[in-house]
Amino acid sequence: MAEVNLDKIFASFILSLEDVVDVSELTQIEKEYLGKGSVLSEERAKLASLSNDDKKKYGSLLKDFANKVSKKLESFKVDFEKSYFTEKEKSENPDISLDWFSKKGTRKHILTNVMEEVVDIFASLGYTVAHGPEAETSWHNFDALNTPDWHPARYESDTLYLDKDLKNLLRTQTSTVQVRHMQDNKPPVYIVAPGRVYRSDQLDATHSPVFHQIEGLAVDDGITFSDLKGTLEYFVKEFFGKNVQTKFIPHFFPFTEPSAEVLVSWKDGEWLEILGCGMVDPNVFQNVKYPSTTQGFAFGVGVERLAMLRYGIDHIKNFYENDLRFLEQF
Amino acid sequence: MKVLKSWLNDWVDIDKINGDELSLALESLGFEIESRIDIKPNYKNIVVGKVLEIYPHPNADKVRVTKVDTGNNVFEIVCGAFNFDVGAVVPVALPKSEIKDSFLIDKRDIRGVESNGMICSATELDLWEDNSGILLLDDDVKPGTDFSTIYPQNDIVWEIGVTPNRGDCMSHLGVARELSHYFKKPLLDNSSQLNPSIESILSLSSGTIKECNTYAGIEIENIKIKDSNFNTKYRLSQVGTRIINNVVDYTNYVLYDIGQPLHAFDRDKLFGKISVRYAKQDETLLTLDNQNRQLSKNDLIITADDKPIALAGVMGGLETEVTQETNNLLIESAYFDKVSIMNTSRKLNLISDASIRFERGIDHQFQLLGLNRFINIFQQDQHITYSSPVVDSKQQFSMVDVSFSRNEIYKILGIKLENDFIENMLEYLGINYTLTDNDIVFQSPSWRYDLERPIDLIEEFAKHYGFNNFESTLPIGNNKNNLGEYWHLKRSLTDKLIAMNMYEIQTLSFVSQEINQIFTPEKKSVEINNPIDQTNKFLRTSLHPSLIEVYKNNIEQNNQSEMFFEINNIFDAGEHQNFDSIPNQIYSLSALIPSKLTNSDTRQDPTINDIYFAKQILIDCFGKIELKQIHKPGFHQNLSFLILKNNKVIGHLGQLASQLEKSYELNNSIFLFSIDLTSISSEDLINIIYSPLSPYPYVKFDLSFMVPDAFAASELIQEVEKFLINNENVITIFDDFKNEKSRNLGIRINTRSYSKTYSEEEVTDILNQVVDVLENKFSIKLNKGN
Repeated sequence: MAEVNLDKIFASFILSLEDVVDVSELTQIEKEYLGKGSVLSEERAKLASLSNDDKKKYGSLLKDFANKVSKKLESFKVDFEKSYFTEKEKSENPDISLDWFSKKGTRKHILTNVMEEVVDIFASLGYTVAHGPEAETSWHNFDALNTPDWHPARYESDTLYLDKDLKNLLRTQTSTVQVRHMQDNKPPVYIVAPGRVYRSDQLDATHSPVFHQIEGLAVDDGITFSDLKGTLEYFVKEFFGKNVQTKFIPHFFPFTEPSAEVLVSWKDGEWLEILGCGMVDPNVFQNVKYPSTTQGFAFGVGVERLAMLRYGIDHIKNFYENDLRFLEQF
Repeated sequence: MKVLKSWLNDWVDIDKINGDELSLALESLGFEIESRIDIKPNYKNIVVGKVLEIYPHPNADKVRVTKVDTGNNVFEIVCGAFNFDVGAVVPVALPKSEIKDSFLIDKRDIRGVESNGMICSATELDLWEDNSGILLLDDDVKPGTDFSTIYPQNDIVWEIGVTPNRGDCMSHLGVARELSHYFKKPLLDNSSQLNPSIESILSLSSGTIKECNTYAGIEIENIKIKDSNFNTKYRLSQVGTRIINNVVDYTNYVLYDIGQPLHAFDRDKLFGKISVRYAKQDETLLTLDNQNRQLSKNDLIITADDKPIALAGVMGGLETEVTQETNNLLIESAYFDKVSIMNTSRKLNLISDASIRFERGIDHQFQLLGLNRFINIFQQDQHITYSSPVVDSKQQFSMVDVSFSRNEIYKILGIKLENDFIENMLEYLGINYTLTDNDIVFQSPSWRYDLERPIDLIEEFAKHYGFNNFESTLPIGNNKNNLGEYWHLKRSLTDKLIAMNMYEIQTLSFVSQEINQIFTPEKKSVEINNPIDQTNKFLRTSLHPSLIEVYKNNIEQNNQSEMFFEINNIFDAGEHQNFDSIPNQIYSLSALIPSKLTNSDTRQDPTINDIYFAKQILIDCFGKIELKQIHKPGFHQNLSFLILKNNKVIGHLGQLASQLEKSYELNNSIFLFSIDLTSISSEDLINIIYSPLSPYPYVKFDLSFMVPDAFAASELIQEVEKFLINNENVITIFDDFKNEKSRNLGIRINTRSYSKTYSEEEVTDILNQVVDVLENKFSIKLNKGN
């Protein structure tokens, strides 16, 4: 009856498993012991020639053998992969303290970042963004803003002019946008105007011939000094944090009255100026042909100053040199 | 401006009020506090001594030996200063006392003479900087007096900012007036009667021009030029003024006291009538600083017998100067026009304490008081004889009633003020007023030039109410969540570009003409009339040069090779496009893409890109664009293209000309693009067109065609897309191979029907049809056998 020693074959099967190095070899082993041309398939072919009784007995033996091999293969595979992956992961242990990727930052210029943040705060209060030309008329930059002919800001030592007659200039403040916006729009007006301004200053630690301001203007029925105060206090808390205190001290600007400077509480109990503001002077409304009963407030804030304060930036030149060592920090 | 607590106390009783409270008051009244110094004695056990004898040192020329009476004893003290004589009253540091910075004084042998301490200068006691020698005290101080009892203790000096509209606060009196309301304490009166005893001999006139409204003077005879009294020296030093001599010091004193500038002439050097006029063209004047000044028709001058003797309000003349030998004086006290003084002082760059006060406007009723104060102070020091003051005044300033409704206060400030508050403030500030149930009528006082309109007085109420006492309310605008197109475009573009790993930069707008010539020789540059820097006196006509500079500087700093962009205005002086009179300014985007880019993984080699990479950035920003070859200065002769969107030119893309790449020493091809942002809208940045997804399997085939050299590969794609318009397609060029014989394009077609699974026959059919369509349309040949 039994012409082959199944136990011996099984032993050789077990032996062949010991040499397995890759899981894909198992397919070959399976084929060798269970597939076409295997001893098993040859023995099965012989079953037809056996008596019913022997067929039954021997068939059952072969079936047991096949099951045993399959089962062993399956458990071997599970164990093999398990130990294979364990070994694989054991070898994969890089030094995570390394930083192979260089620092990049947001890539947005920090001045843009600050301007966007300020604009967003005011957008949440219902202000839209207005803009105007940087090369401006003296009228928009000075006269319309109630700055008399003899005012020191108009000196050529302070302002960059574009002609001999001093009719055109590079705007020294974003307040020019107030004027243009009011000339083109009826109240109510709620705008912020971020942009570049120019002064006749050499580039040093705290001065730059080019810098950025954000102008704000609210003109509406019943706008009061209390509204100005509440608005700027809200802005300071949103921008610098809830714990930062604000104080208002009287100041003078030709285009607002009353005028104030806003100071914020800083480290070591120091108070720092961060913006100028006030109720729009009636002369400004008159210059843009608004009715005499109009009222509103305006403010202006230096973008470089906000950035320097918040991040402790020591030199205004950094903003305009665009050294990647600076840019990638933000 | 510096103010001294003890000086303010002359005008308002603030002696008992502590420094913090005063600082708070000053700040809330609008005087920004730039600094505050609490004066504390920096010395110990200094006594007052009287010099009894002075004799030469037996072994040294540079010092003298003195005998000094210090009350109970007379000591021998060696002293190196020569600015005093027998009889001088001086501060003495006896053995065991301390001078500045705890320096211990003891007996000391100086070249064989034992010195029992030292006689001190102001600097040695840390009172103020003074290099003229020993500090001379007033003659009437008794020897032996503890110095700290005659020198003010616990005084405070503040440096405050006075806003340009408040000329009236440029004196201790002016600041005291503001404090008087804050602390509800009356302003004190310091003027006293004059007793003139001589006749004046000069005739004074304010001239014929309106720019000198009042010219007043007083003549003083038989004066002695010497040191001023100790109190004057102390006060002037503390407010930062140099001590000169009694006459100069007392004119300065009056200026800081009440804000009236005075000028002292040596009367014996004046001849003829004293008057005021504008200078004639080419007239000259030798001023106190020994400079011969060329005058012009806008300069206000004082004349004697019609000859210039002083620049009114700005600087005196050298010829009529007060000197050590002066015996008789003419003291001038005038009111000059603000703008005239400003013009002259700025033109000659002579800015003095006097000119600043005239510029901002002095009290037009103070000329007489100025002379009065001068005499009062001088008299404390020496016996003088003087004339009656002469005042020549043209017109009385008219007092205009300004009237407004009390409602206005509430309307603008949002606060309701009690009658008491209104009345109190107006009275303390010396403002004439009438109050009715509905209205306030007021007149601006002679010292205020900032109270012309109702709003000016409303500001005053706000300030004295205290800005920090206002309620805070938060109005909401009419533009919620509406940033506007300008900002939306800038922001969307910036966000897109940074997402593509480009760095945003901000650069200055000034360049040289040569720089503008590189990329835009056709544009006329805008020139700055008064440039900061002569080499960069033009506004840029292109953003490209700044980008190249930044790129190059970073490479030189050993930084990475990165991509940059800037969004800013460029300017030109061509024909006006947007505005009537101001130069053109075009809001623009420029970007720089180096072909060799530092890999962000530092283990990897740089990535090498070509112009297609730059083009892809444009497509990612602006969606479907067309590029049309064009020659442009500064760019590669072939790799230079206009960028079109919806058939409209929006900008330019190109590779930097090889010559420029070399002259900039870049060693790296540079791609640059510029976009005129006025030609696009934020909607152009939204390029989302949804196509539904087919549930059927895809069919994929690659075809290769032999094409002419000048052939736009994109047309093949467009044609296939047109043919398979009802399908979901991904069609790409996967190969562009050129050899000596031919150019070959490989096109990969990946298509799905929306309605069925294609049979093999149908696929063959589609393939054949595509080949037919392309061959016929472009007269090209399929490369068989692939």
